[in-house]
Amino acid sequence: MRNLGRQDGDESALIERARRGDTEAFATLVERYQRRVVGVALAVVHNQDDAVELAQEAFVRAFQNLKKFESRSSFSTWLYRIAANISIDFRRREGRHIVLRGEDAEAEISRVPSAEGDSYRAAARNELGQRIQSALQQLTPEHRAVILLREVEGLSYDEICGVLQVPRGTVMSRLHYARGRLRVILKDLAEG
Amino acid sequence: MAECSEISLVLGAFEDGELEPHEMQEVARHLAQCGGCEIELAGYATVGRELRALRIEPDLTGFSAAVISRIRASESPIRARVGRSLGRIREQLWSALPTAGLAAAVAILTAVILTPYAGRILDRVLPGSELAQLKSGAGVAAENLAAESGRIASAVHDSRTVISRLEARLPSVAVWSEPRTDTTVIWLAEQP
Repeated sequence: MRNLGRQDGDESALIERARRGDTEAFATLVERYQRRVVGVALAVVHNQDDAVELAQEAFVRAFQNLKKFESRSSFSTWLYRIAANISIDFRRREGRHIVLRGEDAEAEISRVPSAEGDSYRAAARNELGQRIQSALQQLTPEHRAVILLREVEGLSYDEICGVLQVPRGTVMSRLHYARGRLRVILKDLAEG
Repeated sequence: MAECSEISLVLGAFEDGELEPHEMQEVARHLAQCGGCEIELAGYATVGRELRALRIEPDLTGFSAAVISRIRASESPIRARVGRSLGRIREQLWSALPTAGLAAAVAILTAVILTPYAGRILDRVLPGSELAQLKSGAGVAAENLAAESGRIASAVHDSRTVISRLEARLPSVAVWSEPRTDTTVIWLAEQP
């Protein structure tokens, strides 16, 4: 099991200072966890530009709610859970459509992520990548989030349980299903 | 030996090292004798490898600075002002601490010198010259107090100076009243 949580004395001191409003101490924590928090958001929303934006929002909320954080639990898991919750809310909102006209529409179009901004899409340079990308899109957001958190971000099952707030059995069954689907696609590709 | 269908359900967790030790042993024993499950396991490993290859590291330059900037922007002006004021008060309290400590020490020393009990202790503890120095300050105040007491005492003893009016209607009772010092004396004659 890969342990990603790190709550040594140094981290506890940084958290305590950040609780008292020390933004420099919090910046150190941000730098320590930014890559993985972006990864958690990316696993849920599947778009890099959105993931970076949501990860920043997650850190802001974490700073504002540091008094609620219980030091005996893992700071990293608490952070990832905030990022996952914000990203899940964002994904739900994303389903709504807003009609914009004139300048508003142009401004909104300019904010649409480019193909280069989507890390998974941009990386699908060859057929194998395109097939995996396609397979990922066919998965439900829940299955996709679990397999990306595990395989790409390297979270343990317990961490995934904490982040997505689902039972361990659910994590295992979602992983089994998602892996099975992707394995079949890769097998077809290898045989074809 | 477990059936392939049972082993298949936990192959992913085996690959992740997330099974109990006895389950890990059981799967390993099965894999040593089952080529089909071994191929399936290899397929899971490939899925993970390909997913990780798809990931492009996002550029997080300036990420933490952006987070801190958003935190500062999210603080309401009133809250920020209150925070700054509290900070200034806290600083002033800290800087006033040595002065307050010195004042407390002087007050305690004065009380000790003026307390007779402490004086007796000092008689025993301190050499005569030092004690004389300590007492010299208190001696001046004591002399002033004694002079004032003497004036009051002489006025009380010399009743003729105090009593300005005699009021008595009954032969066995006499009442002296002295408005200047707000003193009234009631005299009752002894019964035969």
